[in-house]
Amino acid sequence: MILVVIALVAVFYLHISAEAAKIGREIQKMQGTIEVREREIEDLQSKLAMLMSSAEMRRRAEAMGFQASIPDETMYILISGYDERQPAVLAPSSSRQVVRAPVTPPEYSESLLDWLDRSFAKYILPKLEVKP
Amino acid sequence: MIRENAWRFKLVGALFFVLPVLILFQVVRVRVDPVKAGEILEKGKEYSGQYKTITPPRGRIYDRFGFLLASNVEVYEVGIELQDVKNPKTIAQTLSMVLGLDYTQVLGAASREASENLVYVVLTDNVSQEKIMQLETIVKNMEATYGSSRGKDVPSLRGLVYRPHLMRTFTEKSTGSNIVGMVNFEGKGFYGVEGKYNELLAGEKATIFVSFDPNRVQELPKIAEGASLILTIDREIQRAMEEILDDAIVSSGSESGTMIVMDPQTGEVLAMATTPRLDLNEYWNYQKIFTKDTPFNKAISQAYEPGSVFKPLTMAAALDTGTVTPDTKFIDTGVFEIGGIYIYNWNQGAWGPQDMQGCLQHSLNVCLAWVASQVGAKDFYQYMRAFGIGQLTGIDLAGETPGRLKIPGDEDWYDADLGTNAFGQGVAATPIQMATSISAIANGGTMMAPHIVRSIINEGYQHDIENRVVGMPIKAETAKTLTNLLSRSLELESSDALIEGYRVAGKTGTAEIPTPFGYTSNATNASFVGWGPLDSPQFLVYIWLEKPESSPWGSVVAAPVFRQAVEKLVVLMNIPPDAIRESLFGQ
Repeated sequence: MILVVIALVAVFYLHISAEAAKIGREIQKMQGTIEVREREIEDLQSKLAMLMSSAEMRRRAEAMGFQASIPDETMYILISGYDERQPAVLAPSSSRQVVRAPVTPPEYSESLLDWLDRSFAKYILPKLEVKP
Repeated sequence: MIRENAWRFKLVGALFFVLPVLILFQVVRVRVDPVKAGEILEKGKEYSGQYKTITPPRGRIYDRFGFLLASNVEVYEVGIELQDVKNPKTIAQTLSMVLGLDYTQVLGAASREASENLVYVVLTDNVSQEKIMQLETIVKNMEATYGSSRGKDVPSLRGLVYRPHLMRTFTEKSTGSNIVGMVNFEGKGFYGVEGKYNELLAGEKATIFVSFDPNRVQELPKIAEGASLILTIDREIQRAMEEILDDAIVSSGSESGTMIVMDPQTGEVLAMATTPRLDLNEYWNYQKIFTKDTPFNKAISQAYEPGSVFKPLTMAAALDTGTVTPDTKFIDTGVFEIGGIYIYNWNQGAWGPQDMQGCLQHSLNVCLAWVASQVGAKDFYQYMRAFGIGQLTGIDLAGETPGRLKIPGDEDWYDADLGTNAFGQGVAATPIQMATSISAIANGGTMMAPHIVRSIINEGYQHDIENRVVGMPIKAETAKTLTNLLSRSLELESSDALIEGYRVAGKTGTAEIPTPFGYTSNATNASFVGWGPLDSPQFLVYIWLEKPESSPWGSVVAAPVFRQAVEKLVVLMNIPPDAIRESLFGQ
């Protein structure tokens, strides 16, 4: 009977360890993917910027038959509610408070023994310290 | 039988006893000796994972409307894992064909024997994705054709590896290069905002330990990323000003040119065009383009004697102290003696009775020297200091120089300097200093700090830089009076700087260039400073053409450049003509 219980615990522990290892490997893979994606985003943003560079935009505008405006040809009309082009706002203002996402809870990274240790410290030890 | 083998049992027994004792001894020895324990732990760590250096992407640089000026592009380092190389000749042939590398050098590198100290050789870096895709196709084809073949001479690209990383790229190439600055191979910024904000843009590299054991995988630590910058520059204005400046340099035969466009009400620099310029993606051409002592950005790094564009500052001091009024009369005899030297007018002529309007309109050196003498050295230099002459403006670009303003008490200051300084001779100022000081006149007496960075984006938040007042050198009333004098001067002179439909104020400048033997050269510096619209100035343009050949006069070569610049600015900045603006506001 004892041997069966030990075997069951061993199988259970092995299963948990194997799952944890599998998840750990997936996390490592995802970390690598994040790195690659971040580089790709940077790269694509740069390529997009090159397609929208002033020289390229002018070339495309001229190819479509546009020409630069001159003061004599410019007509000004007052349109109520129209706001002129404003300088770029590319991120929230530093004065705004944004709640950050919580960090990864320990359950996602600790081993079974770590969890037992933490639970022991959290639930058992305080009770042991209670004096009559 | 048992007795015969008894010694064998004893030997096995002894071994079983000695081995644990030895292990125990070793454990105790290691535990007792912390140095040894540390070494062993460190050695163990080497096999349990690897140290990885994480370099955050360098922060981006945007123009004021969010167009990218500097960002990062993915490139590759190409190298060889020596222990995997099968055929060095194939590697050398392929790389010389696709990447243009030297065949002999690559062959030499690929033929080296792998050793404990040498396992990897870098062949080249910053290879584009297109080239890497070409290489990948060749590798694929080669594997398909010769993958199953055996033998020493079978073509193979085994051992060839490419590792991606980010490299700085500049979307606008040479446009605004003097402002943006450059980044070298190691990722360090030089000049411009790249130099000034290098540490902020670069972020902080971090080395972390990555365990091979998936059970010990850790969340990657948060690394301080490079901050991004939003500049005050408008790339359309910058490009237009550079084109106008380049045309002006060619048509006037000037050696070089500088042009600054700033908003006098905020101190924001909208454009800063200078020559020479560099395609920032090819920073290695720096030494070819910036020969001898040529500064990277003359607008902030080269002080020069500005000449008559300095006269508004002298007149501002005189009007502000009450020494003169616009109606003050001066009889111009064509010569004025001060400190033992004689001051003459630009045409050596005598202009007779003049008021202050006439003095500015005809740009009379004699009159302005007299005006300065009436103000007195003490007040005159106090005003010049208040205007920031001879001091750094504090603009957020790397490499600013303060120029030189000699003041009473300096070893090399003489009484005569008061007379010559009055019309911009014997004083050295940078274009940004001149633009900043004169912006005080344009902005009702309040001088704003010139700046290039509008906002900083750090850790996901945008921090806007507040416009800063650096001083109020003159009263608002003085600024208004002087602006009217300068505007009227342009109108009375029918200056080439005038723009139909817009009231502007400005002043020309023609300065002789000093040599070690005095003002013996015929070469001049031609300048113009002007601003508008006068009811609410939105731009101030400062122009400096160095040694023009078609004409030495600022009124001839620099004033038309101002007009061209303003014609572009009013369109790009959506500034209607005065009459239309008044009628629109009336509605």
